[in-house]
Amino acid sequence: MKKRLYLELENCIGCRSCLAACTQCGGHEERNRNYVYDVNPLVNRQTMPLMCLHCVNPACARSCPAQAIQIHETGAVLSALVEKCIGCQNCTIACPYGIPKFDTEQNLMYKCDLCIDRSKDGIPPMCASVCPTNTLQWLTDEEIEAKQKQFNLDNGKWVTSMPYLEGETNVKVNLPGILQGVTKLF
Amino acid sequence: MQMDNFRNERDQYFKEIDNLNHPNETLVKTHCSYCAMQCGMNLRVNTKTNKIVGVEPRYDWPVTLGKMCPKGVTAYQQVNNKDRLLRPLIRDDQSLKGTKNGFREASWDEAYDLIVKKFTELQENYGKDSLSVYSGVSMTNEKCYLTGKFARVGLQTRYIDYNGRFCMASAAGGLNRSLGIDRGSTIPWTDVQDTDCIFLAGSNTAECHPTMMFRVWAIQERGGYVIVADPRETPVARRADLHLDLRPGTDLALANGIVNLLIENGHIDEEFIKNHTNGFEDTKELVKQFTPEYTSAITGVAPEKIIRAAEIYGKAPNAIVMFARGIEQQIKGVDNVSGYTNMALVTGKIGRAKSGVATITGQGNGQGGREHGQKADALPGYRKIANPDHVKYVSKVWGIEPEEMPKEGVSAFEMFGLMEQKTIRALYLLCSNPAVSAPDQNYVREQLKNLDFMVCVDFYLSESAEFADVVLPTTTWAEDAGTTTNVEGRIIKINQAQMPVGESKPDWKIQVELTERMGRGKYFSHLKTSEDIFNELRVASKGGTADYYGVTWEKIDKQDGVFWPCKDENDPGTPRLFLDKKFNHPDGRAKIFALPYRPSAEEPDEEYPLRLTTGRVVYHYLSGNQTRRIQFLRDMCPEPFVEVHPETAAKYNIDHEELVRLYTRRGETTYKVKITEAIRKDTVFVPYHWGHEKSINLLTIGALDPISRMPEFKACAAQIEKLKIKKVQ
Ligand code: SF4
Ligand code: SF4
Ligand code: SF4
Repeated sequence: MKKRLYLELENCIGCRSCLAACTQCGGHEERNRNYVYDVNPLVNRQTMPLMCLHCVNPACARSCPAQAIQIHETGAVLSALVEKCIGCQNCTIACPYGIPKFDTEQNLMYKCDLCIDRSKDGIPPMCASVCPTNTLQWLTDEEIEAKQKQFNLDNGKWVTSMPYLEGETNVKVNLPGILQGVTKLF
Repeated sequence: MQMDNFRNERDQYFKEIDNLNHPNETLVKTHCSYCAMQCGMNLRVNTKTNKIVGVEPRYDWPVTLGKMCPKGVTAYQQVNNKDRLLRPLIRDDQSLKGTKNGFREASWDEAYDLIVKKFTELQENYGKDSLSVYSGVSMTNEKCYLTGKFARVGLQTRYIDYNGRFCMASAAGGLNRSLGIDRGSTIPWTDVQDTDCIFLAGSNTAECHPTMMFRVWAIQERGGYVIVADPRETPVARRADLHLDLRPGTDLALANGIVNLLIENGHIDEEFIKNHTNGFEDTKELVKQFTPEYTSAITGVAPEKIIRAAEIYGKAPNAIVMFARGIEQQIKGVDNVSGYTNMALVTGKIGRAKSGVATITGQGNGQGGREHGQKADALPGYRKIANPDHVKYVSKVWGIEPEEMPKEGVSAFEMFGLMEQKTIRALYLLCSNPAVSAPDQNYVREQLKNLDFMVCVDFYLSESAEFADVVLPTTTWAEDAGTTTNVEGRIIKINQAQMPVGESKPDWKIQVELTERMGRGKYFSHLKTSEDIFNELRVASKGGTADYYGVTWEKIDKQDGVFWPCKDENDPGTPRLFLDKKFNHPDGRAKIFALPYRPSAEEPDEEYPLRLTTGRVVYHYLSGNQTRRIQFLRDMCPEPFVEVHPETAAKYNIDHEELVRLYTRRGETTYKVKITEAIRKDTVFVPYHWGHEKSINLLTIGALDPISRMPEFKACAAQIEKLKIKKVQ
């Protein structure tokens, strides 16, 4: 059954275990490929992960003059092919979230590939495996649909489906505010 | 219950998930080396080099389901770390004590000979008790058990104690007193998500026990409540339904205030109180004084919040009270534990699924390590040295005469006092780093320096090893097998994934070999494997409160762990305590304690107007001896800092990231300021994982709880000074 990465931003505690785990995926050369931000560090401890959303029509790949960014059949937008990447960094600029990272020594882009060795066989990516808070989860479409029903969001939409962002993404994101509309037990 | 196919519960989160198997690798199932969550993990071992090369989640571990915090993910990097000690070290020049200098590599024989010579000399001149053993609980039950026997039978000294005095001693004291048993949790962790209210007191859960957070958040998703009592708005407090932002050191007033309201609101369970407890009337009388206003005046928490907290906890059909070092590391830590436990006892929210009381154990084996005789007053199975029957039983298991059993010793911090008096002249230190973790470091380091002779057993050259004459290289957790007892009271299995690095040896083996050389081999030589030790521990604990007799390594594997007490082969263990409402006091009743409030040992004054509190960050474990050597963790948090509220910072005219001098009556140091609104204005916070001049324990106070002998790390009086900018000459 196809599973997707699903994000519930409000759960994040900023432990950066997702980043630590990213370095442990066999194909990642011990470099982490995503981000965790302190939302308002002088005020509170709110944090959120910023992960590649694996866009259905990815700006990073579109912008690449060398066709170095391939899309896997699962929908995962892969890291640049080493032999093709020319190190122009167009992808980082084109991505609405600035996801692709750059290795200045090797003059190469590298980005999240959803731990493709794992996710191609339905094994959760390392980040979603370890995330202690279920901010990052690996779910079936049915499970995600159930989540969408459970959490009654103000705008009725997933943030990444809003028109001014990247349109359809393979990763589904739930805005901060997942507890909106939860009825208290007593 | 049918033993044959019994397995501990799996909950709604459990999924069958395959692991990724890399070519030329095999996976070894084990658990994390660090905190008492003891998250399940697989170590990836290269089958050609037989070395650990990485980590793979252990999805089928029912407590943590593959989840790990960043410490766990990178834990394997301890094993083949470049800082590992490969051979014994000897330092001949005593004047270099307190530094890293002067060590030379030596053979095990030479190191053992020197230790035996010094220990024998000292004991001949100053008596058996001139030696001391200072241990820790970040190691297996087998090692913890043997260390107790090593001190009392091997070295024949009364002075043994352990770093649990800085960790779990107050929880142990409070739970024993209130419930008659010290198993950290009355329920398994797989109950947590299904409760209706969790009350977390003095627990920075998100940073210290991250992998229980998905369960905590799930309570809110179901419409339940999370209440957090903490001077800081930690990540769990940020999303809590209610954050009780109390002054450090005032927990007992808050607990009394809530119990008072529970009684006033009629949220008590009179039947339960009548049939299963003692002490209610006295407590009712005492807490009357703790009106919301009075409680607020002491704690600094708004009266409305106290009222709301009592209302939520009182109305919740099921509720769990949990606490941690925040309430325990105070001179009234034991009272705080009993005070919060009173909430569960007056409402009867204990002794059933999804309701109960738990301390969130700190160290990996903080539970098991305190049960089997490393504590100054305790023998295996939670027996007591003061009890002649207990001494008789354990003496028989050990093959000594009861008269030979040394008497009670003193607590960890008090050992430094005996070093000062020269009652204790030598120290055998293992699994601990008091030159970072003990309070009042200037005093403690002085005592370590003045020892006639000190042995430190570690796998790195820790800050404490810098005071040693001999350093013995031991193994990390992944190079030996054994058991630990996790936060729930579940005994689990650590498996060996690699052969010992260099010439390092597991602690138990070192102890066996040393005792053989000291002429005490007949009590130890039969222990050839870690499992041999476990089997002796089973017998030694049999019939005690913490009864492990029915636990076998095989049963642990088969059942996903075994909850103690487990009395015999047919007993599957006890995941939930008190289901029959029988508590472990002789009359079967729990005790509700009337606890008068008392202030901290050192309250702020004009000279030292701020409250200093200390704690942890998610990236480091204990004294940081392990985690500071791991690149990812060091990158994420390279140095300590002092958290200051912006209004307080403005008063002192200090900026974010500015270096300031922080000082108390005992010491001073400089830190970078971290400005945050997530702390009280009257409080500053520093994490404690660093040594030398960066250690916040240079400033903390050695005042002890009268029962647990736990130092008051969580509250003392401090002052900040803006550093004068020095003019360049
Ligand atoms: S692992 Fe999860 S909780 Fe931790 S920083 Fe990443 S997303 Fe946040
Ligand atoms: S989020 Fe950015 S990097 Fe990821 S697929 Fe979309 S455009 Fe590419
Ligand atoms: S440190 Fe604790 S929470 Fe983190 S992985 Fe290890 S056992 Fe789990």
